[in-house]
Amino acid sequence: MSARAARKPIDATERRALTFLADLSQTLALSLDLKKTLALAVKRIAGFMQAEAASMFLIEPGSNVLECKICVGPADILGLKLAIGQGVVGRTVAQNKPQVVLDAQHDARVNVRVDAETGFVTRSILCVPLSTAQGPIGALEIINRRGGGLFDAADAEILRLIAAPTALAIHNAQLAGSIGEQQRMRREFELARTVQKSLLPKRRRGKFPLIAVNLPAHEISGDFYDYFDLPGGRIGFVVGDISGKGLDAAFLMVRVASLLRWAGKEGPAPAAWLSSVNVELCKTMNNGRFVCAVVGIYDRRKGEVNFASAGFPPALLHDGAHFEELLADGPPLGILSEVDYGEQRFILGGRALYFFSDGVTDVRDAQRNTLGSAGVRAIIERHAQLAPEARLRALIGELRHLRLVDDTTLLLLQEPRGTLMYTLLDLKFPARAEEMRQVRAALRAALDGQEVAPELRDRLVLAVDEACTNIIRHAYCDCEPGTIALRLTRERDMLGFELRDEAPAVDPARIRPRDLSECRPGGLGVAFIDKLMDAWRIEPLPGGSGNVLIMQKKLVTKTGIDL
Amino acid sequence: MNNECVSETLGDYVLVRLKGEVDLSWSREVRQAILSALGATGKVGVELSQVSYIDSSGIAALVEGFQNARGKGQQFGLVAVSKAVMAVLQLARLDRVFPIFPDLDAARSG
Repeated sequence: MSARAARKPIDATERRALTFLADLSQTLALSLDLKKTLALAVKRIAGFMQAEAASMFLIEPGSNVLECKICVGPADILGLKLAIGQGVVGRTVAQNKPQVVLDAQHDARVNVRVDAETGFVTRSILCVPLSTAQGPIGALEIINRRGGGLFDAADAEILRLIAAPTALAIHNAQLAGSIGEQQRMRREFELARTVQKSLLPKRRRGKFPLIAVNLPAHEISGDFYDYFDLPGGRIGFVVGDISGKGLDAAFLMVRVASLLRWAGKEGPAPAAWLSSVNVELCKTMNNGRFVCAVVGIYDRRKGEVNFASAGFPPALLHDGAHFEELLADGPPLGILSEVDYGEQRFILGGRALYFFSDGVTDVRDAQRNTLGSAGVRAIIERHAQLAPEARLRALIGELRHLRLVDDTTLLLLQEPRGTLMYTLLDLKFPARAEEMRQVRAALRAALDGQEVAPELRDRLVLAVDEACTNIIRHAYCDCEPGTIALRLTRERDMLGFELRDEAPAVDPARIRPRDLSECRPGGLGVAFIDKLMDAWRIEPLPGGSGNVLIMQKKLVTKTGIDL
Repeated sequence: MNNECVSETLGDYVLVRLKGEVDLSWSREVRQAILSALGATGKVGVELSQVSYIDSSGIAALVEGFQNARGKGQQFGLVAVSKAVMAVLQLARLDRVFPIFPDLDAARSG
């Protein structure tokens, strides 16, 4: 049966209804302020339907509660809340079907309490759902036909027609609202990310030993890192991982990052540093969140690193050939305030120290297998030949190629090649034996500053003393005593001793260590130097006057307590 | 600690007491004290418990005294050797060359 064949002649009531419907649809579609337009629309519907009162109920998003949003008529029920299924309106929505009540005072569906409270007498009700493709979003209700008549099925049909464009307009507005909400949230997340990124330290130019990368798995990150300069050529560093995700984890991250920076600004011992932040966090964190972190101090002059960890994965120390896993373990921050943290302290030398959040080991391959510590080591080994910065880029490149499931942060501590040499002592003194006591004292103090073990310190002092007395006795023997310049340097774990004199050029071939197995008084000095230093050489300075003696000693670099 | 070199005569035994840092600036004085003690008696000891540093010129003075004594059949020993001196003796492989005594009594009866 075609639509055309089914059509019957349109009567005056129907014509009037269609005109009203067209007007209403247009008004709703063109509305700039839906709330105002709807209020007007409900008033016009009440008028058109010759109802004493009309109201519109909408479902509160995410609940099963209906709330009266618009109300026209003598009884004010604006804000009235009903459960879906409750009363005539509730039933309309629950069944998604029009309800017609012809004798309200004797109908079980009707909530007579409203009448009792408002003094209004409800006689008949017509209620239709506001429906969308996803189901009802509310209901439109009219009460009491003016003049005492009853609503009939035709009225119900007309109201159903009127409800359709109303529902559509509301639904569109809600969608638009939630899209706007989404856009607003995205903007806020982007802002949060910007704030987070601004907390991360800027990559340093030049030969700086720390580089780090943070890859958030989502818009915002629960991971962070930090590094900052401390007096005396020391650098503090932090890597942290906030449990959980989302905006509140991001806010916690901001707080913890500031707290760690604040607590580390005087360069405390790493264990005490973690303890102070832990105590602070325990005071305020009680929502089941916690923070895993590692904090450390790198002393560039000594080449020494000291770090402590709170629930952070073990650090990896790589010398180019072998890995060492370093745990300095304590529980995560923010759980128990009475906790002690262990430290790892050692001379870094030229080795690379990697700290990474568990996001690195949790990276998944195509088969959804996690990378794990062995996988991380394999990637590092593949790129071990690269300079630190290029190596970190290569590591990140490989990780990005896999699938990040968690925020991922990597911090690499390694002295760049050809790094600065530090001068620990620079003395110039007259080439006289009486000066040596003071020179030895200064040298002892400088070596103590490098925490050289006393036994080795005394041997190095002896070697330098012997070198000086040789200059005094032999180089300056036939001429007016001049000066000796002593410079002590350190480059990573290599100590350098340089002695310059102004004496006539000596023949390096004449200066040889004697055999210590013979017992005789002279010539012990060079033998001591030869035995105590790893390497030494003497060269005449250009210009025919003056000599330079260079001696080197490598400090033992072992992790753990032995420095 | 100030440098000090004092010779003490105890019967036929002369004890040369050294204090401070024995280095080139006064090792000549130490050498002289040891040699004159050996000229005065046949039994000489050098007390080293208060010596915090000794360089090769100081060691040379000890070696010279030891060699002189041996040549004349005299007794020469080191008494109460400090850790700092012992470290240098070991380095010079002289720790087994010198007779070394823990205290004066042992040195005199040795």
